[in-house]
Amino acid sequence: MTRKGHLCWRVAVMAVALLATVLATGESLAQSDEPIVLTVLNYLDATSPGAEREIEEIWNAFERNNPDIQIVREDLFLEPFHQKTEAYAAAGRLPDVLYMWPGGRSSTLHTQRLVKDLTPFIEPIRDQFAEAALRPQAGGYLGELPIGLTATHVLYVNTQVLEELGLSIPETYEDLKAMVPTLRAAGKDVILMGAKDDWVIQSTLFSMIVGRLVGDEMMDEIIAGRAKFTDEPFVNALRFYASLFEDGVLSRRIFQTAYNEVDPLFAAGQAPFLIDGDWKVGNFLTDPTTGEALIPPEEQKHIVMTVFPAIPGERVHNTTSSVPAAGFGINAAIPAGSRKEEAAWRLVEWLTSEEVQRIRLETGSAFPSRKGVTSDRLEPLAQERATFYGRFSGTYVLDDVLDSQVYGPLNVGLQEIGLGLATPEEVAASVQRALEAWRASRR
Amino acid sequence: MRAAGRAEERRAYLLLALPAVILYLAVVAFPTVFSLGLSVTDYNGGPLFGEGRALNFRGLEHYVRMFQDRFFWISLKNNLAIIGISVFGQIPLGFIMAYVLYRKLVGWRDFFQTMIYLPTVISTIVVGILWQSFFSPYGPFTRLMQSIQPGWENTLFLNPKTAMLPVLFVMLWMYTGTYLIIFLASLQKIEPELIEAAKIDGANEWQVLGRVILPALSGVLVTTIILAISGSLKSFDLIFAMTAGNPARRTSVLSLYMYDTAFRGAPDFPLANAVSTFMVMLSLGLIGIVRLLEKRLGGDA
Repeated sequence: MTRKGHLCWRVAVMAVALLATVLATGESLAQSDEPIVLTVLNYLDATSPGAEREIEEIWNAFERNNPDIQIVREDLFLEPFHQKTEAYAAAGRLPDVLYMWPGGRSSTLHTQRLVKDLTPFIEPIRDQFAEAALRPQAGGYLGELPIGLTATHVLYVNTQVLEELGLSIPETYEDLKAMVPTLRAAGKDVILMGAKDDWVIQSTLFSMIVGRLVGDEMMDEIIAGRAKFTDEPFVNALRFYASLFEDGVLSRRIFQTAYNEVDPLFAAGQAPFLIDGDWKVGNFLTDPTTGEALIPPEEQKHIVMTVFPAIPGERVHNTTSSVPAAGFGINAAIPAGSRKEEAAWRLVEWLTSEEVQRIRLETGSAFPSRKGVTSDRLEPLAQERATFYGRFSGTYVLDDVLDSQVYGPLNVGLQEIGLGLATPEEVAASVQRALEAWRASRR
Repeated sequence: MRAAGRAEERRAYLLLALPAVILYLAVVAFPTVFSLGLSVTDYNGGPLFGEGRALNFRGLEHYVRMFQDRFFWISLKNNLAIIGISVFGQIPLGFIMAYVLYRKLVGWRDFFQTMIYLPTVISTIVVGILWQSFFSPYGPFTRLMQSIQPGWENTLFLNPKTAMLPVLFVMLWMYTGTYLIIFLASLQKIEPELIEAAKIDGANEWQVLGRVILPALSGVLVTTIILAISGSLKSFDLIFAMTAGNPARRTSVLSLYMYDTAFRGAPDFPLANAVSTFMVMLSLGLIGIVRLLEKRLGGDA
């Protein structure tokens, strides 16, 4: 090739390169003008007093501050949320960002690696979070960034009702049992629970009983196959649970009471005790849109958050059941390094930010997973909740450590024991069979 | 010339029917056959074809699992109860009320017609939640019963024998209006002269009903029974809102059982497909029996 030919060739290459650069820049400029659309599956009790604040101060605020990101959000609660998540996962159409648990009902997302490992994202701000919140989750990695810490068992006590009847907070199960005749004579229920849905008993009561009577170490042995659900400690836990109905401490009517139906009943003093998760606090606080509360701040001093009294034969004492907490994960199908991934992380970072965790603390919807988040706007019951975590240690929540193939029969079995349709031994055997079937399917 | 015209006519019919046939094949026939196919495999998500496909033939294994599951039988029993209340409750009641209105045996016809049909136009989920609150141990039903009989304990949903009763009652309340409208529309098509002639010949109200009206409505009766059977088998939303199949799955039905199997906890699509195929077969079988009975009894459908 001659020198002139070389020159022409170089000019041509440079012209093509220049054209390509202009086109690419133009395209990327055009692209960056377009807002990134993020689909979100959010978990929200739209009837809770804090719902309006959550929507306005968390979700709408994010969109206002990030005009380059458009959120298409779907809010669901309880069973419809879990079922929609499974349907999305099965159809391969997971939203970009989704609310999820560290295990349990979100196991599919973790174990099938349908969400990204957030460890590299969190690294620069890792020290701002409580270490317990960043433990590897069901898939062996950080699939979701927890928005808080959760105790799934709380015994809410209305001390005013107890005092009116000359009673006090029970320290042992025998104390609690002894109150039954007095409460019945006064036309009160003993313990309120909205356990129509079968997860409620297992998550908010039985996990705590297993933690006390069986212990986490033995649960690890059962899961590993070195012990069985049919062994004496677990069957004893089921027997104790059955005795709650025989002793009149729990009424069978809890199984035909809807989950949130108990909130106004407890607020009205229908029973001195309510068993639920710590998140229930949010339903009692002041609704900022109406200025009304199921339990007004001036009456919240009568409500104490504690745990179930000492159970005969318990191995560990004064425990609740707890999980690192639910939070937000990012769809693994979003390309790494893409604008969408950057936008999704920006959203997750916001949803777990100090500001948002403060709002959630004030509305009672979650206890912060970040260190040092406080507020001077807490109602007495929210303050009570903040001290709860320091007073009680936590054991496993069964649906967090067991596969749904295993805790499914347990959930139904617990309702059957309560209804007198199955014995503790039968339920233990059925759960053991489910565990063995699950283990075989994994092989 | 005549043959050419007939061919032209056939082409026109085919052209008119084609979109509906394509739609039917795409959204009804294909999913049904596909579901039947998946029910004999172990497909539980993942690619269907090519490398890494998660599809292996397993024969009738999932059907055996389904028949061995006690919750399947509970759900089936509940579905049969719903079919029972639909065929022997909603249809007769709907017919009786339509007949009463048609024969002007009561006043305020429009009012009654509207009130009976009203539940049908309310969202099923809203209806389910309202009735769940009504039957709650702290709800109006319990309070009402306790005012009649102090100390009465509401255990309707807690006793496996009575757990379905509130659900069946709500279904009767909710869907009877649909049959009322169908029967009323059909009754209005009967020539009034026929009834007048029967009356002139000395027929009483029962004879008019038995000899004139019921034979004229036999085709509609078969249609409503088919509607009732297929509607009963797919009942889901009302029960989901009212009880979610609980307590202890004692109010579950086949569609809820299928849904739970597919989407609640770990998905088990093969079993869910087996349940869905069984539901189609059961529906076809029951409708076949109705057609057979209708033929035997000499209806005109």
